[in-house]
Amino acid sequence: MKLLTRTSIKAALLVLLTVAATASVRAQDARIQTSQLDALAAKASETVDVNIDESLMQMTAKFLSSKDPDEAKVKALVNGLKGIYVKSFEFESEGQYSAADLESIRVQLRNSAWSKVVNINSKKEGSIEVYLMHVAGNINGLAVLAFEPKEIMVVNIVGPVDLEKLSDLEGNFGVPVLGIEYPKAKRKN
Amino acid sequence: MKQAMASFLTVIALVLVIPTAQAKGDGFNEVVRLIEQFYHVKHQGVPLLARAGIKTATTVARISGGPRRQIAEAGSVKVSYFEDQDFGSAAGYPQFKAQMGTTLATNWSPLIQVASPKEQEQTYIYLQDAGEKFKVLVITVEPRDACVVQVTLSPQTLAKLMQTPDEMGNAITSDATKDE
Repeated sequence: MKLLTRTSIKAALLVLLTVAATASVRAQDARIQTSQLDALAAKASETVDVNIDESLMQMTAKFLSSKDPDEAKVKALVNGLKGIYVKSFEFESEGQYSAADLESIRVQLRNSAWSKVVNINSKKEGSIEVYLMHVAGNINGLAVLAFEPKEIMVVNIVGPVDLEKLSDLEGNFGVPVLGIEYPKAKRKN
Repeated sequence: MKQAMASFLTVIALVLVIPTAQAKGDGFNEVVRLIEQFYHVKHQGVPLLARAGIKTATTVARISGGPRRQIAEAGSVKVSYFEDQDFGSAAGYPQFKAQMGTTLATNWSPLIQVASPKEQEQTYIYLQDAGEKFKVLVITVEPRDACVVQVTLSPQTLAKLMQTPDEMGNAITSDATKDE
């Protein structure tokens, strides 16, 4: 009986450790899950889904020319990025997505690693929330949640994002032009 | 006894052969078949394969801003065309997208998927790492036409096209199918 109890305690501890380790790994991972929004596609008048993973990002950075000024600029921008993911839905009428849909994204950004750096709320022009993930003083990722009555969009950039150059990324690699004036990144010494 | 042994051997042979056949599937034929089954349409052969290769290269040359013919060695180009047929489906776009994902899940990575269900327009781009090159599969479905194009691109070409992934499908498909 004692052996059984010891074994059970060990098993429980092992499970707890595994759960804690998994949670810690997830906390460091700037990739957010958006597949729960896929059901909206049935009601949407237009959907866009862009997935550029780490291997593609690295390949792009590797093969863009450093000599061509335009390519060199993009190369510097994407160097080190581990992924760009965009998902958007446009609807014919209002009320096609719910607060729960937005919450399914926000809940992933509600931990100590993420901080909201931009929060624009406009009933007419829509709302934009920009989140940054900081790990050990470095930016490890970015998430943008933009929504209007007839549109919802999630942009997720994984990797060291240079916030000051981020607007240059808009219009490239499937990142939509959001027109946000990003705050200047705080330099940590 | 002999009959039982023969049946047993047949089953073993089938078990061994079926995964090999599936592994040989390159995605292109599977997608063409999926479109045929899902929309109850029939594809037409396009005898433009060699020319399509040149056209794709031309697109890339245009994108890169000059006559960079060396990209013409894009390799094999496969085109399958569905013309003047009905691509309306009661099951709808999400169902088709899901089936496409399942069909290509093993060897292909989705790059971009754009759909306007109201206009009945869908574009899918999938990528596959093929060693030193990349295979790109572009599937376009419109109300009356559809097209499946597979091209092999160098990483340099793909890197250029990647900057505007939303234009990539159009660029590859139109040049692979345009009859100039």
